[in-house]
Amino acid sequence: MSSQVESLSDALKQLINSGGIEVPMLPEVANKALILAQNPGSDASEMASLIQSDQSLAGHVMRIANSVAYTPMSNLVSLQQAIARLGMAVISEIAIAAASGAKMFNTPGYEEYVADIWRHALATSLWSKEIARYCRSNVEVAFLAGLLHSIGRPAVLQAILDLAEQRNITLTKGEVQQLENTYCQQVSQAVVNSWKMPTLVIDAVSEYTDQNSSLPTGEQTAQITAGARFATHMLKPENLDREILITLPVLTTLNLYQDEVESLLGQTGAVKARLEGLSS
Amino acid sequence: MSNEQYDYDVLVIGSGPAGQKSAIQAAKAGQSVAIIERDSLFGGACVHRGTIPSKTLRENALRVKHMRQNAALADFELGEDTEMHTLINRLDEVLKSHDDYMRKQIDRNNVEHIHGRASFVDSHTVKITKVSGETADVSVKIVIIAAGSYPRDPDNIPIDHEHLFDSDSILSMLYLPSSLTVLGGGVIASEYATIFQALGVKVTMIDRYPTPLGFLDSDMTDTFVHAFEDMGGTWMGSQNVEKVYWDGISDVVTECADGTVVRSQKLLCAAGRVANVKGLELENAGLSLNERGLISVDENLCTQVSNIYAAGDVIGPPSLASASMEQGRRAACNALGIEIGTMSQLIPAGIYSIPELSSVGLTEKQAREQHGNILVGTAQFAEVARGQISGNTEGMLKIVADSEGKKILGVMLVGEGSTEVVHIGHMAMLCDANVDIFVESTFNFPTLAEAYRIAALEILSQRPES
Repeated sequence: MSSQVESLSDALKQLINSGGIEVPMLPEVANKALILAQNPGSDASEMASLIQSDQSLAGHVMRIANSVAYTPMSNLVSLQQAIARLGMAVISEIAIAAASGAKMFNTPGYEEYVADIWRHALATSLWSKEIARYCRSNVEVAFLAGLLHSIGRPAVLQAILDLAEQRNITLTKGEVQQLENTYCQQVSQAVVNSWKMPTLVIDAVSEYTDQNSSLPTGEQTAQITAGARFATHMLKPENLDREILITLPVLTTLNLYQDEVESLLGQTGAVKARLEGLSS
Repeated sequence: MSNEQYDYDVLVIGSGPAGQKSAIQAAKAGQSVAIIERDSLFGGACVHRGTIPSKTLRENALRVKHMRQNAALADFELGEDTEMHTLINRLDEVLKSHDDYMRKQIDRNNVEHIHGRASFVDSHTVKITKVSGETADVSVKIVIIAAGSYPRDPDNIPIDHEHLFDSDSILSMLYLPSSLTVLGGGVIASEYATIFQALGVKVTMIDRYPTPLGFLDSDMTDTFVHAFEDMGGTWMGSQNVEKVYWDGISDVVTECADGTVVRSQKLLCAAGRVANVKGLELENAGLSLNERGLISVDENLCTQVSNIYAAGDVIGPPSLASASMEQGRRAACNALGIEIGTMSQLIPAGIYSIPELSSVGLTEKQAREQHGNILVGTAQFAEVARGQISGNTEGMLKIVADSEGKKILGVMLVGEGSTEVVHIGHMAMLCDANVDIFVESTFNFPTLAEAYRIAALEILSQRPES
């Protein structure tokens, strides 16, 4: 690591420790939220779908919904609960506040990479949900934890690029990736904590790791770990083929028998269609 | 095949109440025994998804109800953000100690525990499939099927375990919803409906029958419905549900045939349970299911294949953990030729709703059908000092006796403590005691047992003059 990268790494560490990392939003999602909120003819379910399909918007909506202004006496623990308790009119108002107040992504050269992270997070949430459903476990926790499991990755990428620009440092893609890999987990954990996510979601996101060899102990973490692998296989089968996927130890942790794994994989078409529907 | 060639003398499929007791009984008789469980956890649905978790939640619901009742002592409201795992906070502890106890008992008796799924190759060979996909065939002299049951999901109810739950997934909800629709009027529906209502959830119970728990007398179910509605619940009987769907935003919508529409945050469908025999490949062993989808057994709990026995939910009612345990023990004894007495048909039923209900023997309605003239004595908990002291006044006890007012035909209770207090009547019936025993015996004072004396005195006062 060059001295320039080392100093940037130190600055990044300081920023993380001071809670200064922001989770930006994709401009197109913010735009869509504003259009839906301002269009009296739009269907409330479209806004509900949009909020539930974007990790940053979902997180920001939860953060604002849990502020004293909206819920002074309690802490909402899921998006579904927030929508049910506050109603879609208030949720749309919150979405406008989130979309207009949040920092927008500005990652020149990494647009496709960020889009991939986003798509993978949404696919992970959808697969985690299906796995939780199969296991008769908590579907809402699996969905939210799946959506947020990699929230630190794009946030830390934006922070790296911002710091590099401020310091006039040119980083190679390899250096960016190394820094991102070093800090993304810590940032994911910090973000879900600062957004006051439910304990089960915080635990799952905190324990999650990209390493296939590491076996999660918590049920929800095992579900999002398996969800993330199913997502990778669906989106980029060249990175994780079917043979390796069906023998992953995490599936044994979840007590999923081979025919059940096959049955889950049989839902790939439906998950893909849902993913397309939510990302369009 | 001679006995020595079998891998196991007895293989038990399923580790729920029936499976455990049959495995331990067989092991105590000196047999080599294995118990196979498909789940990674030991104990079956009763322990992990049913009886124990729901009763743990019930304990907290009762605490909440008592705190609300005693507003002078504590002005109590549950927070809107109450997460379900907070409400079943002691569950892990309860399950862990139960699991420890069961495993120790299984180990102490040298029962081998196999984690995998069983399917019959033939009547003496069972294929074991491990979760990793490995398979192995084991030869067995005797098989006891105790695979339990799982919830029945009707075709017109799209259970998604997210907005619409069944009784196996309801406790996986993340938070306490503000409203819940419960479809069904049986034991599971009644238990969950009242537990959630006691926790402050607005519960609507919908069923096609006019009253819930239709196998009990109407005075019992009336008291139950009154107590439920008094807590704020809504009972909608004689309703046919036509369509149920999630509106895509925040509500589950239930449409009834008469045009009534009920909206709620979540829905529980409790439409009974079906035998968990999928994947057992019973036909390879020469077994078939009866018209109710259950395994038929004779009075010895033996199936149509002489070396295969069955116990618990796979053979159908009463589908009580207590009865399943005894069936499991008896199945093992019968299979091994161990002499046992006749199984008593007097099995008490306990419904852990709020308030509890319990019964043993005949209901008043059944007794009238079978015996014609009968005498009935009742006691309201409000008449009993203990009921007044503890605020447990919404309950009653009923004794049903023959036309002479002597032989006890049945005992029923509704109200807190019912599932314990019923055993006094149960023991009296097992000993063939007359109604007089309740008058002539001295009970602790103040206790709910006093209700037996009050009800018995009412019967005595109606006795025909000899």
